[in-house]
Amino acid sequence: MRVAARLRPDWIGLVLAVTLAVAIIGPMLVVGLWAFAEVWRYPSLLPTEWGLRYWGMTLGRADVWTALATSLQLSFVVTLASAVICLPAAYAFARLDFPGRNLFFLSFLSIQAFPRFGLLITIATIFLSLGLVGTFWGVAIIQLVNTLMFMIWIPTAAFQGVDRRLEEAARDVGAGPVRVFWSVTLPQALPAIVAAIMLTFVGTFYETEGAWLIGAPHVRTMPILMISFINNQLVIQLGAVLSVLLWVPSFVFLLAARRYLGPQGLGRGLGG
Amino acid sequence: MGTLIVWPIVRAILDTLIVTGPEGTRVSLASYRFFFNDGYSLGNLRITAWTTAVSVAILMTIALPISIYLRFATGRVAAVVQALAIFPLFVPSIILAYAFIRVLGPNGMVDIILNSAGLPRIRSPYLTVWGPVIGFVWDNMPLSVVILMAGLSNVTNHAVEAARDVGAGRIAVLVHIILPRIWPSILVATSFVVLGLFSAFTFPYLLGPAAPEMMGPFMLRTFGDVMDPVQARTQAVVTFAICAVFGWFYVRSIARNRARAAA
Repeated sequence: MRVAARLRPDWIGLVLAVTLAVAIIGPMLVVGLWAFAEVWRYPSLLPTEWGLRYWGMTLGRADVWTALATSLQLSFVVTLASAVICLPAAYAFARLDFPGRNLFFLSFLSIQAFPRFGLLITIATIFLSLGLVGTFWGVAIIQLVNTLMFMIWIPTAAFQGVDRRLEEAARDVGAGPVRVFWSVTLPQALPAIVAAIMLTFVGTFYETEGAWLIGAPHVRTMPILMISFINNQLVIQLGAVLSVLLWVPSFVFLLAARRYLGPQGLGRGLGG
Repeated sequence: MGTLIVWPIVRAILDTLIVTGPEGTRVSLASYRFFFNDGYSLGNLRITAWTTAVSVAILMTIALPISIYLRFATGRVAAVVQALAIFPLFVPSIILAYAFIRVLGPNGMVDIILNSAGLPRIRSPYLTVWGPVIGFVWDNMPLSVVILMAGLSNVTNHAVEAARDVGAGRIAVLVHIILPRIWPSILVATSFVVLGLFSAFTFPYLLGPAAPEMMGPFMLRTFGDVMDPVQARTQAVVTFAICAVFGWFYVRSIARNRARAAA
């Protein structure tokens, strides 16, 4: 009976796969078509003229390059700051037993209990009195808040997962604590840490709410430029070209990050 | 971290409660009284609650069958379904919003296909309350599936086979074996989505109606355009209060998982 069940075609799976493909890949394909369409008027099923004209137009705009530079700067600064703050904290949470450890961890966790945009609003009102609204650093700090969860969570789990017996073995043959950390602990935790850093970088690059709330109208990041393209509907293709241009690298990045984590690990981290 | 997160929340709660007037400083509920007597604010709160409820219902109806299928299926088709279900995780919401407009907006791909098939047009969900709902469901599906799948790993093949052996049908297995074990995961996924929707900005701003607006765009406009930080804070504290139950539940289950992992 088991063999029979295995040989039968997986009809449920096929139906699910086709439905999901239409609903999920379909919209992305349409964006892809628009990026290479020079003329596509309403009733025709496909673009009537193809070409790269709008790629030149998009890449020739100064505001695109300024926004790209701003977004990349923000992502680098925020990811770096986040790593400097969170990675030692993650190691401490995973390994050290210090007074108030649980309280500290609980306070970090409790951030997750608040709807994030409300949090950003309360921070923004304080930035108002500090003169940080409309500045690069104001945006950087607010985006930093967004990254804390992933940057502490994933590395903490990674440090916890390191095989202690290997560390003890290294210590037994005379390795000092720094050497043990550098040669045994870190290499084992590294894939997850790299994944966390990639997720943070990509997440910050596409962060929209905080950048808009604090940065507008002076600090224009890539997503905010996209919003203005979408709202003004100047030329449809601009948004499409920008989408393709930005999505492909981030997709590769995230795919690499996911290899290190796996969906199960992600689900556990999210509390499933 | 304390100054970055906890202090602003405490300040927001205190500053919306304490009013400094000519007769000195006193505790006042005036800003909350304004919110709950203002028809526009209440309408925005109502539309946020409605969007959240509808989105959660649709999401669970879609994510639950997919994750149950993925838990028990093996083979190449299942791998494709899993890859597709996780895919939206890799699409930033701003790009999704653009794709939505090109597909479901006026003269979008759906209109084009319906027209060439000789069918009447649909009413576009773009700029209606259904716009953000569709966006949220698309965007939140991967994490819902992932959370439910993590819960489903608690359901052993053994338990399902034992129930099958005594003659339980598919529905009976679902109701008596699977659902009781993944109920906590369903609640976690729900909490996660609720917290996300009460702070959503991109989808309601780009895909939803201008009025009533969801709390995200409403707070942003109150802060940025109306320049009323006190009301913006009041609105933020109201969303905190409404989400408190879900937030508490979500954090508790993360803490439990952590304790389990550490043990």
